[in-house]
Amino acid sequence: MKKLLVLMLAVILVSSVFAKITFWTTEVESNRMQRIRALATIFKAQTGIEVEVVPVEENDLLKQIPIAKNAGTLPDLLEGGIEPILLLGSENFLDEDLATKIIMDFGDVYNGAARMLNNGEGKYYGIPFHAWVQGIWYRKDMFASQDLGDPISWYNIALAAKVLTNPDKGVYGIILPKKADAYAEQVFTEIALANGARPIDEMGNVTFNTPEMIEAFRFYKELGKYSKPGFTTVLDALKGYLNGEAAMIFYSTYIMDDIAVEEVQKGRINKFNPELVKNTGFANKMINVRPSSYGQVVALGITKNANKEEVEKFVKFLMTDKNYVYWVHMAPGGMNPTRKSVAESEAFLDNPVLERYGKEKIAEIVAALDSVERFEFLNGKVITDMSKLSANFVIGKAINYMFANDWTPQQTAMWAQKEAEKVLGK
Amino acid sequence: MSVISLREKEARFGWKLVLPTVILISLLILYPVIYNIYLSFFEVSISDAPNKFVGLKNYSEILKDISFWKSFGITILFTFTTVLGSILLGLGVALLMNREFPGRNIVRALLLLPYVTPLIAIVFAWRYIFLPIDGPLMQFLANFGMNPGNDFVNNPNNAFWVVSVFNIWRNFPFVYLMILSRLQSIPTDYYEAAEIDGASDWQKFLHITLPELYFVIASVALLRGIWNFYKFDEVYLMSKFANTLPVYIYEKAFSGIPEQGVAAAIATILFVIMISLIGLYVKKVLKW
Repeated sequence: MKKLLVLMLAVILVSSVFAKITFWTTEVESNRMQRIRALATIFKAQTGIEVEVVPVEENDLLKQIPIAKNAGTLPDLLEGGIEPILLLGSENFLDEDLATKIIMDFGDVYNGAARMLNNGEGKYYGIPFHAWVQGIWYRKDMFASQDLGDPISWYNIALAAKVLTNPDKGVYGIILPKKADAYAEQVFTEIALANGARPIDEMGNVTFNTPEMIEAFRFYKELGKYSKPGFTTVLDALKGYLNGEAAMIFYSTYIMDDIAVEEVQKGRINKFNPELVKNTGFANKMINVRPSSYGQVVALGITKNANKEEVEKFVKFLMTDKNYVYWVHMAPGGMNPTRKSVAESEAFLDNPVLERYGKEKIAEIVAALDSVERFEFLNGKVITDMSKLSANFVIGKAINYMFANDWTPQQTAMWAQKEAEKVLGK
Repeated sequence: MSVISLREKEARFGWKLVLPTVILISLLILYPVIYNIYLSFFEVSISDAPNKFVGLKNYSEILKDISFWKSFGITILFTFTTVLGSILLGLGVALLMNREFPGRNIVRALLLLPYVTPLIAIVFAWRYIFLPIDGPLMQFLANFGMNPGNDFVNNPNNAFWVVSVFNIWRNFPFVYLMILSRLQSIPTDYYEAAEIDGASDWQKFLHITLPELYFVIASVALLRGIWNFYKFDEVYLMSKFANTLPVYIYEKAFSGIPEQGVAAAIATILFVIMISLIGLYVKKVLKW
């Protein structure tokens, strides 16, 4: 009996020493990685479970999955936007039961955030981890000097872009994404939805060739005229805004610490403008024929072959109390908790950046998560085909070609229509 | 006990010596090649479902796909342009460096830099130089009236040329080294004799230097041709939009909904084309 006990103890000890999970995160910046590694260290000290943190670029996430599968190195847990998570879920990669169980165990996850990960059968592909809202960030001082209204309606946005562009002084009305990547699709989504345009309708038909969609491409191209030249991307937009090169940019709430915190801003552009936080406005919606706002939920997906017990412990560790606050404070304002109890807690709001924007503004942003729209969701249905279009950057490529080849909005829409049909095998 | 002859013993010993190599090559090269051919007949599932046998469907699909033929054409053009470009540049530089001048050793060493510097470092440097508005090259060209807003690297229409020029620049030192080493072993008597006969510099180059260099150039062209036909890293890092076949295969295999069976079929087709081209080249040009 004694021998057996010793043996069991030894097994438990050994297994706890060797218990290990792999976690892919899309937070690849070094300061974020530092925080995540710190959390992993604390977790190991508490539970004996080692977490190997692997940074993966967001745009590369879906490319890495099949490579990892063939190599047998799939992670146990991965962090990603809803597009890759929905796609991986629909391809049968993810443990929906465990994700659903964890959401239920928490009991206070925002419905709006969880809804985006619904598999259509009452379960969830992943656990909503944190979320952001996208809109136009603009220089209130530049707008006031020209007496321009807030950049919410298409008309106001185009007018401001035109009036504020002054290339001789190195100032542009806007910096617009023109490269074939996820950012171009994010920006285009908000524009298209404000015009009532969608790439795929409820019946699953590809609808790039509709008049609303062509109109959306036309508006995008028009803005391109007043944008900084080049096939600019998300980092160009951020840097351009911070150093006063652009009057408007599309960006998520992630920009809040770049604008407000001296060391973060200095890390981006090597100087600091203390007035910027005061001079910055945020248009959290866009209107042409209808209002629309865009946001993203970043979720945790648990793979089928994961070490379930350890992963569950780790997810709950990450999304509880001070660990959770420590995580979302790596990008204050950008990362918003998806658990109500944490979002409303003093600990979350106790942050120099969040304080500068004020509790009301933060509450407004977090609340907007219940109303954000996506191409993937229509009348309570999940359109998983949309993830395939996103994964192939169909919209990004269409925009890229529109500017590179000077295509008309019609040509662009027709190309996107054909490409989307090809990708979906229709 | 049977008696084995010395010859037989030696043969067995020889086999024992090469066996590890044979096994390693089989594992690392033959197995993937064969597995790749096998995969090309399947619709490869990336989830837990088993692969589905589809026969020649992947092949017929590719051969009907316009974007495959487009990529194929671009790859041939890319290989041709870069091999020709790097040989011309390498030859020119080698001829220059074969002359005596003060500081020649330093210049010779500097010339190797593009080839020995880590790829990622020079890719970033090039991208910086080409940056629209703020890039040094664009600012310089703006003095001559060119629009500094041009984005050469990221424009999908220019990507091919940027990548080609970059590849020529990066790889000419290899060609230059090979040619220079051969140049130095050409006996000076030939040139002296030609001089006595009254040959011009051009005639000397055409009738002595070039024939002496023939096999070096031909071999270098073969090597660079093979490498550049399959070139992925330089192309992909510099611009993802250059649309060459290796990038196309990568996109098929690993992006969006991966179609690894189709990618395997493309790789097999390329393999067959490459093997036949090499065979032809070796026979006709290298005259082995």
